[in-house]
Amino acid sequence: MIEFNEVTRRFGKKTAVDDLNLSIEPGELFALLGPNGAGKTTTIKMLVGLLRPSQGTVSVFGNDLSREPRRAAGCIGYVPDQPFLYNKLSGREFLDFVGEMRGLDRRTRQERIERESENFDLDAFIDNLAETYSHGMKQRTVFASAMLHDPAALVIDEPMVGLDPRSMRLVKDLLRQRANEGTIIFMSTHTLAVAEEIADRIGIVTQGRLHFNGTLEELRGEFAGGNDSLESLFLEMTNDDNR
Amino acid sequence: MTTTAENTEQELSGEAEARVFWKLRRRMLLTSLKQAVAGGGWLRFALVAVLSSILWAGLFGLFAEGFQFVQVTITIADTHDKLVGGIFAMFFAALMLMLIFSTGIILYGSLFHSAEAAFLMTNPVRAERIFVHKFQEALLLSSWGFILMGSPMLVAYGVVSGSPWYYYAVLLPLMIAFVYVPASLGAVVCLTLARLVPGNRVRVILLPMAAVLGLIVWFGWSLTTGQESDLMTPNWFREIIGRLEFAQHLLLPSWWLSAGLLEAARGVWSESIMFLTTLVANALFFRQIAIAVATRFYRPAYSSVRGKNTRGRRKHMSWIDRMAMAGMIFLPKPMRLLVVKDLRLFRRDPVQWSQFLIFFGLLAMYFFNIREFTYSMQYSVWVNMISFLNLAVVGLLLSTFTTRFVFPLISLEGRYFWILGLLPLRRRTILWSKFLFAAGGSIVPCSALILLSDLMLRVSTDVLISHQFTCLLLAVGLSGIAVGLGARLPSMRETSPSRIAAGFGGTLNLVLSTLYIIAVVLLTAVPCHFSLMAEKNQVASKWIAQSPTVQAWVQSWLIFGTFASMAMALLVTAIPMFVGFRAFRRMEF
Repeated sequence: MIEFNEVTRRFGKKTAVDDLNLSIEPGELFALLGPNGAGKTTTIKMLVGLLRPSQGTVSVFGNDLSREPRRAAGCIGYVPDQPFLYNKLSGREFLDFVGEMRGLDRRTRQERIERESENFDLDAFIDNLAETYSHGMKQRTVFASAMLHDPAALVIDEPMVGLDPRSMRLVKDLLRQRANEGTIIFMSTHTLAVAEEIADRIGIVTQGRLHFNGTLEELRGEFAGGNDSLESLFLEMTNDDNR
Repeated sequence: MTTTAENTEQELSGEAEARVFWKLRRRMLLTSLKQAVAGGGWLRFALVAVLSSILWAGLFGLFAEGFQFVQVTITIADTHDKLVGGIFAMFFAALMLMLIFSTGIILYGSLFHSAEAAFLMTNPVRAERIFVHKFQEALLLSSWGFILMGSPMLVAYGVVSGSPWYYYAVLLPLMIAFVYVPASLGAVVCLTLARLVPGNRVRVILLPMAAVLGLIVWFGWSLTTGQESDLMTPNWFREIIGRLEFAQHLLLPSWWLSAGLLEAARGVWSESIMFLTTLVANALFFRQIAIAVATRFYRPAYSSVRGKNTRGRRKHMSWIDRMAMAGMIFLPKPMRLLVVKDLRLFRRDPVQWSQFLIFFGLLAMYFFNIREFTYSMQYSVWVNMISFLNLAVVGLLLSTFTTRFVFPLISLEGRYFWILGLLPLRRRTILWSKFLFAAGGSIVPCSALILLSDLMLRVSTDVLISHQFTCLLLAVGLSGIAVGLGARLPSMRETSPSRIAAGFGGTLNLVLSTLYIIAVVLLTAVPCHFSLMAEKNQVASKWIAQSPTVQAWVQSWLIFGTFASMAMALLVTAIPMFVGFRAFRRMEF
């Protein structure tokens, strides 16, 4: 499981994440919501080992990200908001590189590449060089690379950026399916409709602090209105007057 | 499908990881080669090969003449050998310093600010593997110029001194082993500073710079104080050799390289092999040190550098920008704003201006120390030659900067080119603004350096004016070449300026710029040199002074050289800019 234990991250005098305590169990799809600059991306960067907490610990299946970053990274598949691919490699070569780096043997790599190519509909362009890809194509290829090793935890920063409606449907179905199979899905998003549709649990963060952590029903219960949409609840909660 | 934490924890061994990264490099290299061949790239390749060969041959000729001159002038074998040894040791010591800086600066950008590093950090890859991967790239980018420019000098020495075959055989291994040492040191400095003072990029770069400049001042001072003898006398040579001794310290890798080459040239192959093995052993040792530092420091340093506090910017224009705007009052406002935009980007990227500062600072120190070389006026012809050589060196340095910083300007607009493309501006204006930024930014430091050199050498006013004029021609021409070629041969998908500069367009830019510098300096310097010789009525040039026909011919050459260099500057500015305008107008975004 993923655990944030009293995590604080400061940038100079500014506190981007303030005393975060959070744990996510296998099979759970967790959506982290919050306005711009609330600390979502900093939280994700600590979870994938790019930033270290100023205080506290982040661990993935018992592996502390600061002490055992390689073992922790082995359990994670990460999809950043800005996809990175090598321009001079084709999508297939990139997936092969990632698979090999993650210790998959040749046969398994080939099978998984075929599987993810089918899942993310990469067949039409997988053998073209990445320098010819659109943003959406790159995003789908990065999704495929993150799932290649069947990660125990999938971390996604803004999953729907640059995807067409068909790809968005595809991604939502796949994320839900993976969560049902036992994978932890940790995503940060501004697309509230996606969180409303597929998330098991929602976290709302503002000014570095986790203000809400629970299901959509619990959120509705906490705020008056009963059947309000996540959008209106989110706006109500992140309104300055309510903080 | 199983999705447990256990089934994904298949760690690769260090060797297997290395193989994966070599495979990655091989694949990307093959793709680039295939693209070059398939896209008519062989023509480009042939063009660069031919131009590089011309440049190489030109430098070879120049160095061969120089070594020949030293051989003929200094007839005492021992003094000759010591002088050449001193020059080699000094050259490689300066090079070592430059390689420490350039590798450190390139690595800082690629380890802490590249998208690839961020991608690799989120994968189960060893920190030291990411370091080695980026280190190899930085090593190549920082030393390719040394191989291109240094090899003609070393081959020329081999030919002039009649070296045996194994001199040429050990040349490349010695150079490769040598560059690893300063590059590894640069990497250690870069990682240590990023770990210890991550919050301030300016401080990270200024700290080692200040330390090294302090050392240079001290060395420069000890090298030149109390110089008593006249130029080109045996005493003068002996004093110079004595003062170059610090560069021949037995523990300096630059001296091992120098000694290894000279021993091979003398035919003492066993000594040469000893220096080669010393260099190889030290190269491996320092590489291991750098890897050990990376293993310990890279991940925490990455987190610290990426998590640094960003200082807020002031709402109003800074005084530098206001001065720049005021200084260009005669230009249309959009053009001024574009120049100020480029000025801000340059200023806020210490990786760029620190290199500029280091290399120009080194030259300034050298010129400043010239004051101590006392000489009587009968050596004014030599002094004049040194002043022109200084001019050529400043030009060559400027060409490396226009290649490294100006040529990539259009490419770096890359994916954001639409912002400029959609502005209500003519594209011509954008390109002119880049040209003005480059030319304006080049003229000031180059003119100041040349003025310093001339004042220290106490050259005549005529020569001083001629140098300032040549400097103007060089700044304008080199900027024209870099901006024009940058627009004609952009790499819009590349985000690293070092890679853009090391590509086809950058190499072509460097070669054409060097040829232009050689042509302009020769056109202005050679007639000036002969004219001075005639004026001073020296023994060696009596035939010039006594022959009115030759004198008239030298005078015509002087006038012709001035006009020819002006015409050449006009052409090398206009033609690439015209080609650039056409390509830039058609560019899609």
